Amino acid sequence: MLKKHIITALMAASSLITAASAYAATPVQTNSMGLSKTSVFDVPTPVVYHYTDKAPGQSKLLPRAYLGAPPQVPHAVADFLPITQDSNMCIACHAQPDQWGKKPVAGVATAIPPTHYTDLRNAPGKVTDHLINARYNCNQCHVPQTDAPPLVENTFSSKKAR
Amino acid sequence: MNITRRDFLKQSAIVSTAAATVGIPVNEIANAATLNAEAGWRWDRGVCRFCGVGCGIQIATEKGKIVATKADVDSPVNRGLNCIKGYFNGKIIYGKDRLTQPLLRMKNGQFDKQGEFVAVSWDRAFDEMEKQFKRHYKELGPTGVGFFASGQHTVQEGYAAVKLMKAGFRSNNIDPNARHCMASAVAGFMQTFGIDEPSGNYDDIEHTDTMILWGANMAEMHPVLWTRITDRRMNNPDVRVVNLTTVSNMSSGIADLEIIFKPQTDLAIMNYLAREIVTRNAVNWDFVNKHCAFAAGPTDIGYGLRGSDKYDYAPEKDTNGRELTMQLDSYEAIAQGKKPGATVEQKNRNSADKHWLISFDDFKAGVEPYTLDFVAELAKGDADESLDAFKLKLKALGDLYIEKSRKVVSFWTMGFNQHQRGTWVNEQAYMVHLLLGKQATPGNGAFSLTGQPSACGTAREVGTFSHRLPADMVVNNPDHRAASETIWKLPAKTLNPKPGSHITKLLRDLEDGQVKFAWVQVCNPFQGSANANHWIKAAREMDNFIVVSDAYPGISTKVADLVLPAAMIFEKWGAYGNAERRTQMWREQVPPPGQARSDIWQIMEFSKRFKLKEVWGEQKIPGLKDAAFTDGILPDVLTDSGYSPETTLYEALFATDANKQFKWPDAVGKTHDNHTAKLLGDHWFPEKALFEEYASFGRGHAHDLAEFDVYFRDDVRGLKWPVVDGKETHWRFNEAYDPYVKKGSGFDFYGSAFKSLPSGNLDGVTNPEMTSIKGRAKIFFRPYAAPVEQPDHEYDMWLSTGRVLEHWHSGTMTRRVRELHWAVPAALIYMHPADAKSRGLKQESIAWIESRRGKIKATVETTGRNRPPKGTVFVPWFDEGVFINKVTLDSTCPISKQTDFKKCAVKIYKA
Repeated sequence: MLKKHIITALMAASSLITAASAYAATPVQTNSMGLSKTSVFDVPTPVVYHYTDKAPGQSKLLPRAYLGAPPQVPHAVADFLPITQDSNMCIACHAQPDQWGKKPVAGVATAIPPTHYTDLRNAPGKVTDHLINARYNCNQCHVPQTDAPPLVENTFSSKKAR
Repeated sequence: MNITRRDFLKQSAIVSTAAATVGIPVNEIANAATLNAEAGWRWDRGVCRFCGVGCGIQIATEKGKIVATKADVDSPVNRGLNCIKGYFNGKIIYGKDRLTQPLLRMKNGQFDKQGEFVAVSWDRAFDEMEKQFKRHYKELGPTGVGFFASGQHTVQEGYAAVKLMKAGFRSNNIDPNARHCMASAVAGFMQTFGIDEPSGNYDDIEHTDTMILWGANMAEMHPVLWTRITDRRMNNPDVRVVNLTTVSNMSSGIADLEIIFKPQTDLAIMNYLAREIVTRNAVNWDFVNKHCAFAAGPTDIGYGLRGSDKYDYAPEKDTNGRELTMQLDSYEAIAQGKKPGATVEQKNRNSADKHWLISFDDFKAGVEPYTLDFVAELAKGDADESLDAFKLKLKALGDLYIEKSRKVVSFWTMGFNQHQRGTWVNEQAYMVHLLLGKQATPGNGAFSLTGQPSACGTAREVGTFSHRLPADMVVNNPDHRAASETIWKLPAKTLNPKPGSHITKLLRDLEDGQVKFAWVQVCNPFQGSANANHWIKAAREMDNFIVVSDAYPGISTKVADLVLPAAMIFEKWGAYGNAERRTQMWREQVPPPGQARSDIWQIMEFSKRFKLKEVWGEQKIPGLKDAAFTDGILPDVLTDSGYSPETTLYEALFATDANKQFKWPDAVGKTHDNHTAKLLGDHWFPEKALFEEYASFGRGHAHDLAEFDVYFRDDVRGLKWPVVDGKETHWRFNEAYDPYVKKGSGFDFYGSAFKSLPSGNLDGVTNPEMTSIKGRAKIFFRPYAAPVEQPDHEYDMWLSTGRVLEHWHSGTMTRRVRELHWAVPAALIYMHPADAKSRGLKQESIAWIESRRGKIKATVETTGRNRPPKGTVFVPWFDEGVFINKVTLDSTCPISKQTDFKKCAVKIYKA
């Protein structure tokens, strides 16, 4: 059902583009436009999505969006949030400065990189021995992912990130 | 070792790339490929497309495509950090359903409102747009057309739009979505200081000891400022962070103190603080005597609703009826010194902004009822918290503000601004800081943040509001009109002195047929405006013509008659102004796809289709009353103007001789293109010319901007205005920093608006004689006022709406990025587990949310990042599939006309 939905959506999207480029007189169905393939007067029923329930260490890394993009979180995080002044469970596993420059080891958490140990505001050239607190809120950049299908294809080229 | 930030990042990126691929075997070839990846990339700087923080970014392009972006390590705003949205500034432009051709509703080859969209050429699109515009303009005059502008318009786009509407069409019916975002902040600034925008800057974070968040979930909405706050707090044990909110949220994680209050009782908490300052003898009298004046205004000002039930759905009538008469509940009665149960006619709903000077004794009497006991009982927002615990928190809050040696910054955004008394509560923030003398110094100040990337730079500074002109000027001031007419080389009396319709009224005007042509740019008003069922119906069913310029199809394009494909941010030249007065610019990085074009090109091409004789003759303006004009009439200004009747608006307003002196190509362009300049074809550089023309409004008037090229210098990362003698201004109104401050004054609140006032007491004016308070800021007494709609036996819960970290506004860009969509695929109903249980709901249940205005369905979330107290639900508005604005109430602050999206009554039940 879901799959069928996606295909319809993609077909609608591509038909829009084709129609547009050729000035074809084929009308675009209004309800096929946008992210909700319904009339603006309808009330769609939402699909329930789930975040992965895989524990850290059991999941595969997700592909980076592009070179330099923050990696997404491939494992369940519900038990680790919220991050508070007193508790940051991400650091507990990911603070691994001894892993810098080394070959990754399966099952060992991705190391927080040296950029995050550098105070870019006050001492930009110096890698310290601690995580800079400007980077303390990990989930401002690193977000977990659900099983939701993309609403629309995106043609951004990320091959350089590989 | 002396290496630059950028060198360092490059080196550490190499190291981290190696370390970041745990679980996948790394081989030398892959690594080498990564190292060489940047070869052939062109890097140039830009500014983030999303919130009002204004983070600097670097953009990499290759073969006409953006291939990467990164945070700019040299930007003082964000120093190499972005939030998760910010990292996708490049990817947002590559959704596969980008609009690349104009689309017109047609049947049998003709425009038909009931037709489906058909791709047409730009010529065909403009032909129909011109025909429909002229039809409605001829019938209704300048007030029959409207323009929905934006806090995401670039400075130059906003300037072109406002000039076309106000100088060209002589219509003040242009208003930005920023009206929904910070109009209350503007009104607060204008009434308090006589000039718009904050005195401080983001460095206040590193200078202060105390940061108080009022209705600002900065962890999600201003994430990079939140990194600075977190850094400051975590590195300094004596720094304190307080989060005042109606819903426990992500910002509470770093806060030392979380205060959950009932919707709208921030008004009472503020007065409790004022009362504490007075009773603890903590008023900084030296500062107050020298630099402040006390003021008050009417309280019977309504709630910004229509005031007529003609268009109401039956269930709406009771709430909307209170627009005219409100029965006071016991709290509001005590807070305003009136009798409980009294019925108050809202006599000042059309004069809500008037105010007068009062004495300190009157002020003191005003705050007297706001004792700890009274305010705690009224304001406590979490039923599970004890009254005593809540009182301790309020006292602790008072201690933090009052402690003499402690520097304090108060931050707020939509919690204050989207508020039925938004102007008042903004003014109360200044009240507290001014009483304490903790304003306009490093680390001290009430700091209004903005939501949109150029709410300040465009909507406010350019003045795309229905009552504004550039540089804080207004249409109903004859001197301001004359000054604008001079700069714009317009005949006298071209400009219309009657303020136009604010954005909510524009929608109401569509519903009642007063506006029949509307053009929407860089916003999605049919998804983003409260009580949306009315407006989508009006768009589709009334005799009107709606043009939507957009990059992607969304709710507004779906109700449009003509869709124009728009270039996105880095497909055009532009400038934004952030919340700390920092103006930042960027070059066109990549060409727009297909036939998509910049908004400036669209405005100017459309302007070519009008001759002066069609717009500058006599025009009727219903309701116009002004000493210099005949009632209801804008005069013919063309005859004897020296302009030819055959001159086009393009020639008169845009491609003027002066503007055409700015040639394209220009050295500042380096290797970058300008599709707008090329397509216009007159060899001029519209973005530079418009910027310089616009800047002439503010130079010498405390709104000074630097020259266009300066913003592109390698050593410049935006500049905070006023920029005087090449230097930006870090703290305004403070002699040590602001060149506009009178020498020897220490502080000088030199803004000139509303600085001559009558005098009176809390009840009204007693002495109409005007007193000048030049150089002073006002300390307003503003009472608690109950929300116009509160939960009752049927609609028994509060609904608050807002954003999430991962999505921007209506989601049309961010939901087309897989990583962001996967992170937050749909808007949820965040609710207390006990409230869910009592309604037979649980995590992942689908529920109806219903108000008097409409109902929608969403998935229940009881464990997420937002944890509302019992009796409240929170629903984000980014998801067009969870169209929450069908449910919200279109009540506004009667002074600022900004909608309150934060409180209305709903019922929730199983779907």
